Amino acid sequence: MSDASTQFDAIVIGSGITGGWAAKELTERGLKVLVLERGRELRHGVDYLGEHAPDWKLPYNGKKPREFYAEQYPIQSKSYAFGEDTRHFFVNDKENPYQQAPGKPFEWVRGNVVGGRSLLWGRQTYRWSEQDFEANRVDGNGMPWPIGYKELAPWYSHVEDFIGVTGQAEGLPQLPDGEFLPPMDMFALEKTIKGRLASKAPELTMTMGRAAILTRDHKGRAACHYCGPCQRGCSTGSYFSSQSSTLPAAEATGNLTLVANAVVERLVYDEASGKLSAVEVIDSQTREKLRYSAKLFFLCASTLGTTQVLLNSPSGTFPNGLANRSGSVGRYLMDHLNVLSTTGIFFDDMDSYYYGNRPNNTYIPRFRNLPGEDEDTDFVRGYGYQALPLRGDWKMNFNAKGFGAGLKDRLRKPGPWLWALAGFGECLPQYTNRAYLHPTRVDRFGIPQLVMDFEWGPNELALWRDMDKQSARIMKAAGAVFTSAIAAEDVVGGSAIHEMGTARMGDDPNQAVLNAHNQAHDVPNLFVTDGACMTSSSCVNPSLTYMALTARACAYAVTQLAEGQI
Amino acid sequence: MKRREFLECAALLITGASASQLGWTLTGEQEVYLAGAADYIDQPLNYYTPEQRELLAALSETIIPRTDTPGAIDAGVPRFIELMVAEWLNDAERAAFDEGLFALQQRAQKDWDGDFLALDEDARLELLETLESEASGSDWYQLGNIRRDFISDAPFICQLKELTIWGFFTSEVGGTQVLRYEAMPMRFDGDTPLGPDESTWMPYLI
Repeated sequence: MSDASTQFDAIVIGSGITGGWAAKELTERGLKVLVLERGRELRHGVDYLGEHAPDWKLPYNGKKPREFYAEQYPIQSKSYAFGEDTRHFFVNDKENPYQQAPGKPFEWVRGNVVGGRSLLWGRQTYRWSEQDFEANRVDGNGMPWPIGYKELAPWYSHVEDFIGVTGQAEGLPQLPDGEFLPPMDMFALEKTIKGRLASKAPELTMTMGRAAILTRDHKGRAACHYCGPCQRGCSTGSYFSSQSSTLPAAEATGNLTLVANAVVERLVYDEASGKLSAVEVIDSQTREKLRYSAKLFFLCASTLGTTQVLLNSPSGTFPNGLANRSGSVGRYLMDHLNVLSTTGIFFDDMDSYYYGNRPNNTYIPRFRNLPGEDEDTDFVRGYGYQALPLRGDWKMNFNAKGFGAGLKDRLRKPGPWLWALAGFGECLPQYTNRAYLHPTRVDRFGIPQLVMDFEWGPNELALWRDMDKQSARIMKAAGAVFTSAIAAEDVVGGSAIHEMGTARMGDDPNQAVLNAHNQAHDVPNLFVTDGACMTSSSCVNPSLTYMALTARACAYAVTQLAEGQI
Repeated sequence: MKRREFLECAALLITGASASQLGWTLTGEQEVYLAGAADYIDQPLNYYTPEQRELLAALSETIIPRTDTPGAIDAGVPRFIELMVAEWLNDAERAAFDEGLFALQQRAQKDWDGDFLALDEDARLELLETLESEASGSDWYQLGNIRRDFISDAPFICQLKELTIWGFFTSEVGGTQVLRYEAMPMRFDGDTPLGPDESTWMPYLI
């Protein structure tokens, strides 16, 4: 193994949404930082191969090559964001296998480029509330969070100010307001529905989606041009990604080194000092093994990538995986319960149309099990709905019978409006939901494959029933003339792509992996700031919280390093 | 120069600049900036005979004819169908499609007394409507398949419509002259007036 050490103060593993933030915060505080990314090189703007391509330029005019996907991308191709316009951002499933416990399917969607899933994310950006941080303490599920809303609030502001978040302040305790750019416009139908809900379901709030998309120029990045499919990449940097924002900021300090194609095999624990000394890496192209040393290590490899690295780094002190004295590493895996509950058809606002493709939805924040509410539920926690209108077009009218000029005319004209409610439900942390290393199966680098063993518990199933019931009520109040409850027989774990947990934060080192600063209880120079650190899951989209936790941990780590504590 | 054309030119320039740079690690199949690529239907054709091409052209034009706006032939739909049959359908689907083309001609000979190409417009329409009524029990006609998952064993007439309609409304001609298309809207307005005869925007993939 060759020792590739130049002098680095810190090594960040992963260049996605948290790795990018760690790189920015650490380099801006003067540290020499190495970022290791297992995916390939991808240059901002230049390598967004699908951007702005009309359908007639896409292979097969955009019709997806089913058999090729089934063979090479059976998991990734289930994502709405996957197609020939974006495939180059994703991993090839066949080359990057993992295992699923029998009868418990779990979809693991992964980026495979510099920037990771920050290029592909849904961009919805919500603060957690005090109630979210208190939930475990209050109802006894999982273990208490070591921090609360007030510790994270300034870091939420810090992140929002940099990334740019469009949204509408509402003054709701369950969905704290942030630093917002102007909200996007609603469709006429959404305004109609909002008005009806205000009188028929006044306990609900329907607000414009809060999203990391610019509605005006912001910090050198251009306002959104409303082309539509963000997941193809945005050369104007109008949505937040590592590529458009944090990595350039880190680069500008002169303190950043980024190495792509660097597959982290393990972290090296030094028994004498009680700290990490190095990271061992395999170059995915040459298979050369390299070792990099530093004083500080930030693990930002995405929840399950981080789990894999920790479990694959055993030592004399930690025979069951790095920093795993508690036995919690890999445990308490969560995802959001993402259910397309109900779709309604509306004949309102038929003479109203739109201009531009709004890459955002509206949001109905949590309204169940709020403080002071009458308790009529058979579950704890709650859920919110993302709501999206669609105007009927040729794709929705495809099955129309007939031929000739009449068919052509029917297909080209708008149909009625559709309005869909997609629920996102909180998932409880459960010891039995976990990821672990397969005892014998390895990947092409010789690294043990992960096994996902995850299923919804009784609370999620009860919450799901309520989500369906309430969505039918909301559709009626909204004025749908026809509703179709899509009977979601199965919602597969991982399919919300909000997987989190497996290295939870908590004050008790016998139960938790990380302390209140995302620092490993037993390894002072190891910080885990991606989704793995989460102690509970809330029901709001998690990326903003990961970013705020990362920035906060970086500030702490740099101070500790300066004071000689690390 | 329109904004869209400008973007396409910019894309070509960028592609040209980057191809020679080190660090380009994409595979050959992926190494294409799609907005600057040739249209899908501009690939060379090598599957059907001239007679079969003539038949496909007549069939697709019967499904989506030229009216006061362009029709299937104007939009290159016959080319799209030939490419998709050759490259996108699997062996069984391709065999079934070609068998369907053959059977359609036989049906025309038997029940309409002539080659499909020799039939007048009404007879052509009548033949296709007959095939559709015979296929009407197929899942292809069910509501709700808005992502257009392909129904592998749907009858020939359904697959013909599938490829014709998809090829037409995703073509440059269909998307810009029959539907409406704007690559760079620059703003979002959720409430613009819709005239009684106006077309939808060309939807982007969902």
